Amino acid sequence: MIEYPEIDRYADLDSILHKFDPRAKIVSFLTLIFSIVLIPDLKVALMAFTFSVFILALSKLPLSFVFKYLKWVTMFVLSIFTILALTFPGEKTSFYFISLSKDGIYSGALISIRAIAATMLVFPMIGTMRFDETIKALYMLRIPNSLVQMLMFTYRYIFVFADEFHRMLTAMESKGFKLKTNLYSFAVIGRAIGMLFVKSYERAERVYQAMLSRGYTGNPKTIADFKMDAKDFFLATLIIFFAIFLHLMK
Amino acid sequence: MKAVVVRNLSYVYPDGTKALEGVNIEIEKGEKVAIVGPNGAGKTTLLLHLNGIIRNKNVEIFGKNIENMSREEIVKNIGIVFQDPDDQLFMPTVFDDVAFGPINLGFDKEEVKRRVEKALSMVGLLNSINKCPHHLSFGEKKKASLAAVLSIEPKILVLDEPTANLDPKSRAELIDVIKKLNESGVTILIATHDINALPEIADRVYVLNKKIIAEGSPREIFSNTKLLKENNLEVPEIFKLFEVLRCFGYNCDELPLSIDEAIEHLTKTVETEGGHIHLHIHEHTHDDIEKVKRKYNHHL
Ligand SMILES: Nc1ncnc2c1ncn2[C@@H]1O[C@H](COP(=O)(O)OP(=O)(O)O)[C@@H](O)[C@H]1O
Ligand SMILES: [Mg+2]
Repeated sequence: MIEYPEIDRYADLDSILHKFDPRAKIVSFLTLIFSIVLIPDLKVALMAFTFSVFILALSKLPLSFVFKYLKWVTMFVLSIFTILALTFPGEKTSFYFISLSKDGIYSGALISIRAIAATMLVFPMIGTMRFDETIKALYMLRIPNSLVQMLMFTYRYIFVFADEFHRMLTAMESKGFKLKTNLYSFAVIGRAIGMLFVKSYERAERVYQAMLSRGYTGNPKTIADFKMDAKDFFLATLIIFFAIFLHLMK
Repeated sequence: MKAVVVRNLSYVYPDGTKALEGVNIEIEKGEKVAIVGPNGAGKTTLLLHLNGIIRNKNVEIFGKNIENMSREEIVKNIGIVFQDPDDQLFMPTVFDDVAFGPINLGFDKEEVKRRVEKALSMVGLLNSINKCPHHLSFGEKKKASLAAVLSIEPKILVLDEPTANLDPKSRAELIDVIKKLNESGVTILIATHDINALPEIADRVYVLNKKIIAEGSPREIFSNTKLLKENNLEVPEIFKLFEVLRCFGYNCDELPLSIDEAIEHLTKTVETEGGHIHLHIHEHTHDDIEKVKRKYNHHL
């Protein structure tokens, strides 16, 4: 079987963040993420980083699960860090025989730490609830309907398409096709992807027919039983205060 | 009262494929009717006309032309379960899917929940209410997509190949649900080529192959070998078995179509023939068996 990239694999754990009301969670975490991305100072960024680690620990999500995704972000920002350190103009310092820019190191570190701290928060935000709850929360937060529908269908059908593509590959392999990095392989895969587009188009048509048959009029409406209580308000307020606090420090 | 009337319906797809030609169908309220026909016969195309997904003036539901009905009115009267459950289950969870119809029809939250629970318990899926569809087995997906239509509580239920590709247990369970619904007064129309299930799920059969080729009880249809051959249709295995038994001297005028009928027939024969069944090989047996085999072998 193929491994699906399931962000909500650990949605059934039990933690204070799993119990956090989805809407309050999304609003407060997005505020915090936004605030972290705008931090101008390295010391404050380090503080935010510490806070992110703390939040991640609260979520009880397995670290291996988080690092599987986070390592790509880390690799990306480290490469930016390296480039900045090597090329930024201004006062130089030397590390063995390499000449590095002091401002470059500072900006590089600031960017890296902000990015990692912010990305790290995505996991306790959407990894602690089922993805359908995330969608419902967005729906209830009055995010434009077309956006919510798009997310909803993407989430539902990405697995169907993954299966379909996998079946197609299996069928091709059973007829002796081997995936190599040559032109022939690319041509075959290209055709398979073309087929997948046609199939998707036909499926979309059938899905739409099924929706009409059940009274669809343009807005998929859902019911969600979210209840905000004092604890949710408290937690959300705390996180948003911290987000503001990060910018009051100097 | 007629639940469904289709009058002189023809349809050509935009690419020129002739799918239906002058189809006439009448279904009484409370009946269970099957439409059988080979692949590409136009079964699915016909069903798409019944609730106006393909617009037309040829279909009447409870005496009213669907052309003059609002979408809401159509949806409340006639529910269609399509063949591929992945097309039917488009919401993030089973609950959302089954609630989709009732919410669209404007029921309040409590009523929506009541209907969702009722529909899911009917198909035995209440435990999976919060699962997302891609975590369900194929059989469960089929049941969930049936529940998603049942929650609308339509007066007429239309199913496209409900038993295709199901394992025996899920198939039996699904047939059971369909029978129960019919007993509770729902009019049933099933497009299928699952011939073995037919005697159980249909009182009356239409044979469709672009046109309506024949109409009658399952027994009438299965007794017409020429008709079956011309339209690439199978015959229930039980039916064939008893035809073979007849070659061995088993006395049987009305061939049974289902296990239940077979049990009934065997019991009656044993009772009237003094406690046992007498089979033997006589001079024509081998010729007769050859004839039966040839009759049902489409490849010859
Ligand atoms: N969207 C379409 N465009 C063109 N031709 C179609 C389309 N859908 C079905 N057909 C054709 O119409 C005929 C009837 O198809 P269908 O109603 O799906 O038959 P059945 O359900 O009995 O297998 C077939 O020849 C099929 O190829
Ligand atoms: Mg079909």
